[in-house]
Amino acid sequence: MASQNRRLPAKGRDEGILAKFSESQIVLRGRETAGEVAIVAKKLLRSTGRAAWIAGTTFLVLVVPLIIEMDREAQMNELELQQASLLGTPPPSLAPPPPK
Amino acid sequence: MGLAMSYAAAPPPPPPTHSQTPVGLGVVLPPKTEEKVIKKVDFRNLPCPLPFEEIQREALMSLKPELFEGLRFDFTKGLNQKFSLSHSVFMGSMEVPSQSTDTIKVPTAHYEFGANFLDPKLMLVGRVLTDGRLNARVKCDLTDNLTLKVNAQLTNEPHFSQGMFNFDYKGSDFRTQFQIGNNAFYGGNYIQSVTPNLSLGGEVFWLGHQRKSGIGFAARYNTDKMVATGQVASTGVVALSYVQKVSEKVSFASDLMYNQMTRDVTASFGYDYILRQCRLRGKIDSNGVVSSFLEERLNMGVNFILSAEVDHRKKDYKFGFGMTVGE
Repeated sequence: MASQNRRLPAKGRDEGILAKFSESQIVLRGRETAGEVAIVAKKLLRSTGRAAWIAGTTFLVLVVPLIIEMDREAQMNELELQQASLLGTPPPSLAPPPPK
Repeated sequence: MGLAMSYAAAPPPPPPTHSQTPVGLGVVLPPKTEEKVIKKVDFRNLPCPLPFEEIQREALMSLKPELFEGLRFDFTKGLNQKFSLSHSVFMGSMEVPSQSTDTIKVPTAHYEFGANFLDPKLMLVGRVLTDGRLNARVKCDLTDNLTLKVNAQLTNEPHFSQGMFNFDYKGSDFRTQFQIGNNAFYGGNYIQSVTPNLSLGGEVFWLGHQRKSGIGFAARYNTDKMVATGQVASTGVVALSYVQKVSEKVSFASDLMYNQMTRDVTASFGYDYILRQCRLRGKIDSNGVVSSFLEERLNMGVNFILSAEVDHRKKDYKFGFGMTVGE
């Protein structure tokens, strides 16, 4: 409040030091570039976000089921090996033909 | 057919207990026969090639599973050895073709009743849908070499019914087929084994009502580890496919489709895992479509199906699940 009160009359007379500074060329350019950088960063963030989304969903659809099923298969093989070593003989027909 | 037969004749995969010392197993299991004998090619005794329309079978099996959206339930009940009835319920959404780029989906549900008669010499399959469509197929071996196939699709909308007669002749190292369909469709094709691995074929067809004709050529090269096919037609379609069998359980497939008329190219790459409890197929293609199809065996004769298809570009997502009971 106090600063505003002080600056308002100053602006009318001879554009105070702050106003001079804020309207100088460098600051204007700086502000412009900052704005551009912000826009580019926003775009970049958005596109990386989209790329990450696509990569993530693709991974979810293509790779996750594969990992789960390979894990199951490995588990089953291990179980069978254990049984075989316990019982001495391979268990009969735990391997039905795959679905066509 | 040669490939399928050799696959069928191969011994069932031994239980994966290779890490064990073959003390007990080595006696039980037959010794591994290495059939790597270098034999001279006998050009009078070439294997019979696959039918012309099936030369891309392996690639299609791996890359084109029956993806669906919604729920499906299939039940097949065998009444006796040769006769079986099937019931199938589908609930979900169907895509309606439209001019605009975005797809329109309409919720649909239908029930399908089917009857099958399967005999080595005669095969009769009929399907009736609740929306009035009827599909009938007949496959009949007239002699040892000549087979008649009839395929008919009847709908209650006019001009959409189809009928097709195929006469297949199977020689010792070639196959030929003659087709007659409605709308004055006539076609013929011929495929010949050139070497034990390579077969070449060609086809001609004539569409009487549209006054169009076409010619096409195809080649297929297969060994036990890989299958490569190529197909060119005068309609401007070039299709190439390649399947690599990494092991008995795993195969990788890729295909490339080029259409000269519309100038679009599609390439896709997929995997096909056939494990003991499931079969999993996944595919990614150059249009940004990712899909996978999982068939999980829950019990003897009970399969659980999951289908997923994600089209990133169109933002079109299709997920489906289902059950198949009885086989």
